[in-house]
Amino acid sequence: MKREDWSEFARKLDWELSYVSEKDAFPEVQSGRPWLPGTAWTNWDEPFRTNYGEYVAQQHAKEASVEAVRAAVGRLEAYQRLPTSWLDGLKLHAAMLPLAEFAAVVGNLRAARFGRDSAWRSTAVFAALDEMRHTQIPLLLMHELVRWDPQFDWTHKLFHTNNWVAIAARHLCDELLLASDAIEFAIATNFVFETGFTNVQFVGLSSLAHDVGDQMFEKMVNSIQSDEARHSQMGAPVLAKIVEHDRRYAQYLLDKWFWRSWLLFAVVTGFSMDYLTPLEHRTSSFKEFMQEWVIDQYLRTLSDFGLERPWYWETFLEGLDHYHHMVYASAYSYRASVWFNFVVPGPEDRAWLREKYPSSWGKFDPVWERITRRWQASDPGNDFAVHGTAIVSFCDLCQLVLSNGTPDWNSANVLDRQGRRYIFCSRPCRWIFEQEPERYAAHKNVVNRVLTGEAPANLVALVQRYFGLEYETWGKDAFAGDYPWMERTRR
Amino acid sequence: MMPVYGFLEGDTIGLLVLADENETVSQLARKLQSAARLRAEVAEPFVVLHNDKVLRPDVTVAAAGIGALDRVDVRREKT
Repeated sequence: MKREDWSEFARKLDWELSYVSEKDAFPEVQSGRPWLPGTAWTNWDEPFRTNYGEYVAQQHAKEASVEAVRAAVGRLEAYQRLPTSWLDGLKLHAAMLPLAEFAAVVGNLRAARFGRDSAWRSTAVFAALDEMRHTQIPLLLMHELVRWDPQFDWTHKLFHTNNWVAIAARHLCDELLLASDAIEFAIATNFVFETGFTNVQFVGLSSLAHDVGDQMFEKMVNSIQSDEARHSQMGAPVLAKIVEHDRRYAQYLLDKWFWRSWLLFAVVTGFSMDYLTPLEHRTSSFKEFMQEWVIDQYLRTLSDFGLERPWYWETFLEGLDHYHHMVYASAYSYRASVWFNFVVPGPEDRAWLREKYPSSWGKFDPVWERITRRWQASDPGNDFAVHGTAIVSFCDLCQLVLSNGTPDWNSANVLDRQGRRYIFCSRPCRWIFEQEPERYAAHKNVVNRVLTGEAPANLVALVQRYFGLEYETWGKDAFAGDYPWMERTRR
Repeated sequence: MMPVYGFLEGDTIGLLVLADENETVSQLARKLQSAARLRAEVAEPFVVLHNDKVLRPDVTVAAAGIGALDRVDVRREKT
């Protein structure tokens, strides 16, 4: 038979239930809400159609292509030629990616079983296979580097630790990928996360990788992107259906997941684009990439669906100028709590950042002046002379540090609920919590764990015994505080 | 001792500071200054804010009504 003779029939092949009711076969708790009868989903339509035979052939070709690049430039020597700070961005990305992708296998398999249309379910099966591949590629590529630099071991280790970044990442991924029903998964993961945000990685960061000369990273993200572009298409037809039947809920899911996705990308991609990519290789700022590859497209899509921009839009726009700068400066001063190294932005970096962030950089320059002066008065390599010692505080929703708002006014805010005090980094995080408090209330942030004795209060003990780091792996200044532009006052 | 969330104007992160109920508001503010000094400093005169109110520097933490896990801000005094 020719493809056109069977593919449409196979795509929409489904069965009529006789032994169980439709509600039993597709319970709301797994399939999502609003619960609609199967007849409401029959016109579910994915723009890009494939079948198993085509899928396997395409993926085989992609794997061969990745392997060819790996054989040519994936060896240790090729990585050793890359700029030091770029490698630190690579360690950050490599650790965030594979286990999150593995969690996405579960989310897709839930859709493959509980999605309400057969074409949706088939597409989700391919997506689950995609995510398996996205788990394996970075694990394979970074494995080569572990013998050279043990920080790369965190590619696999991060999600298995109680490191504060892992706690935040698990909080997000558990809800986004493991615990969400099929409808929330499609809107949150396929639509907001994959359609809305990943272009800043796959297009923006990929172009920087090309410029830096990291052909392996460029190839990896491009190969992954070609899968994402296919399976992210599940989001729009699900969103269209939910907008049709419960516009308010659709708006809520979009607003919640746009904010949660933004915080993650600001930290991971923002660090890499504005700080860890060497200045001579930067083409655009993180804010410019966000404007080009996320914001314009997202607002157009909202408009197409007749939806509103999120209620916190002005807060988000202000965050574009501040948030990742707030977190980077904070994380630099607590770098021993993570598994990659940091750099101090030098005079030329700071001039570039001032040009790219004219409305906000003036508030961050004094912070870097102070850090620079501390290094100037310290011995090179004496990281703890230029390091925070107090316990930092964390948001009860995103679990990231309380670094939202601006240096002039941190936007953290507290909430008392049923005898417990909660603190949030921002109004949107608090709003998300208050929409479904039973979903989040029992979770303990790092400070809660310290106060209940679950985690040590001493910072070094916390880093070693709870965050899972040791001297060889904890983050340091990538240049030991010894920069050509930095004149030492200590002799 | 009780933990409070401290925010110093000019800083990029909130810190957990241990407050003694019998120390003065001014002493608590200096603790926060010390904890954040790698990144920021608020030169004197400064003010301490709690629940949108400016606290007298010479009263104790307990008398000022600061409780566990409250938010306390140290900011430049506006002249």
